[in-house]
Amino acid sequence: MSVTFNKRDPIYLQVMTHLKKQIVSGELKPGVEMPSRRQLANQLKINPNTVQRAYSEMEEQRLIFTEPNKPSRISEDPNVLNQLKKEWLNQAITRFVSAIDPIDMDLEDLMPMIEQELANRKKAQK
Amino acid sequence: MIEVKDIHKQFGRKKVLNGVSFTIEKGEISCLVGVNGVGKTTILNAIMNLTPVKKGSVTIDGETLVPALYNKIAFIPDASISLPHFTIQESMDFMNDYYDTWNARRAKDILKFFRLNASDKLRDLSKGNQAKVNLLLGLALDVEYILMDEPFSGIDIFTREQITEVFSSYLVEDRGVLITTHEINDIEHLLDKVILLDEGKIYKEFNAEHMRETEGKSVIDVMREVYTG
Repeated sequence: MSVTFNKRDPIYLQVMTHLKKQIVSGELKPGVEMPSRRQLANQLKINPNTVQRAYSEMEEQRLIFTEPNKPSRISEDPNVLNQLKKEWLNQAITRFVSAIDPIDMDLEDLMPMIEQELANRKKAQK
Repeated sequence: MIEVKDIHKQFGRKKVLNGVSFTIEKGEISCLVGVNGVGKTTILNAIMNLTPVKKGSVTIDGETLVPALYNKIAFIPDASISLPHFTIQESMDFMNDYYDTWNARRAKDILKFFRLNASDKLRDLSKGNQAKVNLLLGLALDVEYILMDEPFSGIDIFTREQITEVFSSYLVEDRGVLITTHEINDIEHLLDKVILLDEGKIYKEFNAEHMRETEGKSVIDVMREVYTG
């Protein structure tokens, strides 16, 4: 696993985005154990205190939970996970719309292009 | 916590340190940054009592740093701490004989971590591998604080990558680390605290993540303001 961090945004937020992406994509499944803060710090080559901060924030958002003396795990609460998906989608749409906004284009012209892109991606993944 | 308070140092007429104060906290990686010749090494030497200072104090967990307390600190200088005709194994044995805090098991782990060969002679090693041996000999001590002088100077990028890995590993876990460097580019993500030194004074001291969060600036951005602005 390798992530490229930018230098101007807080690293803990970038770590959270990275983990959230893995949750929404199903790479990190509900209930699975998270790596320890040091393992993750070592993998990502960042400061362990930063990972700690990301974990605490995610705990607060109930995306992960920790039982005493056990590794943290991904939430199994469907409400929390649905909420995350919604949030992820909203952000993606905001980014997408602001990117295409300068081009005057109708939604109906856009739709086939989006469908085409999705199809291409599916093909590439196979 | 190591607390450096108001230290002053002069070489002849030249004032090198002009009232330098900062702290090194356990569980944090602090970095003393400044262009060459700004006094970084002098500060480390002052902490280690290798150079007398005119004024100021250094305390460790609230106590004045007396010789008996130096077993809490490992100092890893820029130059080799061992002898060129020694093998790595002989260097480790030497450390074992002279330091109560030597941890042979950790030394073995680090040897593996750096992919070094214990029977190699120091003088036959590349500069990068010599730097690794230096780190090994310091990191294997069971101490609470580690001071490293320019651990990245003059070594190739791959060695650099390997050395940066040390900082996110258990090798420095819960210890207080201070490193000095003049090039911070690929270690920004590893640092807690950054201490910028300019003209014998602390120009600015800040938490790197806090700086990103509140001002949207990278460490390099802040350095650029200080040193070129």
